[in-house]
Amino acid sequence: MNNQATNPNAPKITKETKNKIRVEFERTDAWTRFKLKYLTTKFLKQVLWVIFRLVLLVGISFVILSPLLSKIFSSFMGKEDFVDVTVKYIAKYPTLEMYRALITENHYAQAVLNTALLSVFCALVQTFICTLVGYGFAKFKFKFNKLLFFLVIFTMVIPQRTLKLSMFLNFKNFDFFALITAFLKMFGYEGNLTQSIFGINANTLNLLNTFWPVAILSLGGLAFKNGLYIFMMRQYFKGVPDELEESAYLDGSGVFRTFMTIIIPLSVPMMITIFLFAFSWQWTDMFYTELFFTKSSITMMPDIVKVIPKSLIDPYPGQSMREAAIKNTGTLLIIAPLVVIYLFCQRYLIAGIERSGIVG
Amino acid sequence: MNRQAQLSPNLSKRRGGASLDKRKARAGWWFIMPFLLVFLLVYLPIVIDSIWVSLCELKILQGGGFKTNFVGLQNYRDALFSDANFVKTLTTGLKQLVLDIPAIVIFSLFMAVLLNQKMMGRAVFRAIFFIPVIISTGIVAYVDQSNAMLSHMVDSSSGIDTGTGAESASEAMANAASLDWLFGNMKIGSELTEYVMGIIRDVYSIISRSGVQMLIFLAGLQSISPAIYESCSIDGAAAWETFWKITFPMISPMILVNTVYTVIDSFTSSTNSVMRYIDTIYEKVGGNVTSSAMSWLYFLIVLALIGIVGGIVSSFIFYQRRD
Repeated sequence: MNNQATNPNAPKITKETKNKIRVEFERTDAWTRFKLKYLTTKFLKQVLWVIFRLVLLVGISFVILSPLLSKIFSSFMGKEDFVDVTVKYIAKYPTLEMYRALITENHYAQAVLNTALLSVFCALVQTFICTLVGYGFAKFKFKFNKLLFFLVIFTMVIPQRTLKLSMFLNFKNFDFFALITAFLKMFGYEGNLTQSIFGINANTLNLLNTFWPVAILSLGGLAFKNGLYIFMMRQYFKGVPDELEESAYLDGSGVFRTFMTIIIPLSVPMMITIFLFAFSWQWTDMFYTELFFTKSSITMMPDIVKVIPKSLIDPYPGQSMREAAIKNTGTLLIIAPLVVIYLFCQRYLIAGIERSGIVG
Repeated sequence: MNRQAQLSPNLSKRRGGASLDKRKARAGWWFIMPFLLVFLLVYLPIVIDSIWVSLCELKILQGGGFKTNFVGLQNYRDALFSDANFVKTLTTGLKQLVLDIPAIVIFSLFMAVLLNQKMMGRAVFRAIFFIPVIISTGIVAYVDQSNAMLSHMVDSSSGIDTGTGAESASEAMANAASLDWLFGNMKIGSELTEYVMGIIRDVYSIISRSGVQMLIFLAGLQSISPAIYESCSIDGAAAWETFWKITFPMISPMILVNTVYTVIDSFTSSTNSVMRYIDTIYEKVGGNVTSSAMSWLYFLIVLALIGIVGGIVSSFIFYQRRD
């Protein structure tokens, strides 16, 4: 009980002020402490490990960043640099002509505007729909839950290219009764049921060159990689305790009200993660933009890199290298807004995924 | 009245419980309604149509339209037996992908373990490692690819590094360390050496394809309770033992998720060689239907592979909580 008094080696404790105590004990001398702390194999191992880890991480970061850096360096090169053997990274004739030509001649501003409209809209819709659907799959036991979730996995596994032709044709001649028409087709029916029943003009049903095809797919959670988002959301909601909703139900809140007022505020970090994924993948997407925007008057992001600006076409020995650099400059322009957004949001991104707790 | 009121709580509780379940089940349908509706009205017809087209021959009419003629499995036969390159591309592509998958999963697990440790600049490294997920998709991947093809065709006599061959940095590193020589002297069999060298040369593509997996592993590592590690260190387990006896079993569900994700991601990405080949066929005159047939064949193979890989991996998985 009274250890302090009986043990002569115990440190002496004196009370200085009301909140402060002073402990006096004998210290081992500095050299012994140093020896015990630093001159051990354990510490040596630790130091070696830290160095190894740092070298590895820096090396891999270099591998990730070096293509980006060399793209940035070559984007400032002038025409003469591409035939100069001594130039590797730093341009001898630095110029901004590539940026200038791409921005003015390839209508960069217009492409940014169009793509931003499409991406923001799609990402918002996809985030909400995937949250909704993921919640439905995670928290409700209804018939065919497993089977329907398998359909989500199916949409994830099927390569986009498989559906390229049919998707194009379907949205070129949109049909609300496409399920029936698809079967009628096998018996030689070539028409469009919506058109023949309601007498709508064929041009009205042509949804190409509008935002509708991507919007419709987003509304159903079937656009690019949406299966993954639904999957992530479902795993996240499986980790949310049921008691939370049950207490809300007991207080008389309906299922949808509970979802809107309790579940959504709870899952904001996860939703930001999904929004960022959806936004950046829609921003750099080529598949849908090329498939659904066939008119050249609508400038989307891929158009920036597809054509070399006229003022830069100039056949000379370095031209092929230069065209590669021009295209790379185009991609830099494309990802520039993304990188800015990413720098601001990456904190949320990792936090969101950490909270998702994706356990199989 | 009074008696009824006393009885009713018991009764209504039971009835209320049952109807709540039913109501909840109905609400579940409402929640997945957007997906179901668009799937049935738009997506499923597209899938059916695509399968149907792959069984047809396309005749382009002079008015600009086209007509489909049912030809049965002719397109599939064409793809498998008449097209000399398809089977070759398919087998080499599959082999490459099957070799890449363990590399990606192991690499992302290793990096996740590293990035989970407390150190200076952890947030910066995490941010850098995630950059490829954002930028090496879609248009950027397409441009990189076309530029890489170009740089193979013209010999780049000028020393400019335009960042086109994305793997140039890793290639240079591998050469600088003369790894060929190093592994050659280790007497571990030329196949293994080739495999490791292939991975090192291709390290950029492996890194850029393992961003999402790394995040999933990180999330998994953070869900392991620190109490387990603490009790381990009290019992005197070394870090190596702790990894294999604690971390690895606890993270094994994530290994399944990541393996399946890697298979899906690398098979459906537009940059893999089979997809590119199918694309070139699509662009050819009358190649539409053949490319449809090819991609359905490819899809079946991917599905089978996911089944096999998932089956193998899931038999090794340890679930902490069974429900």
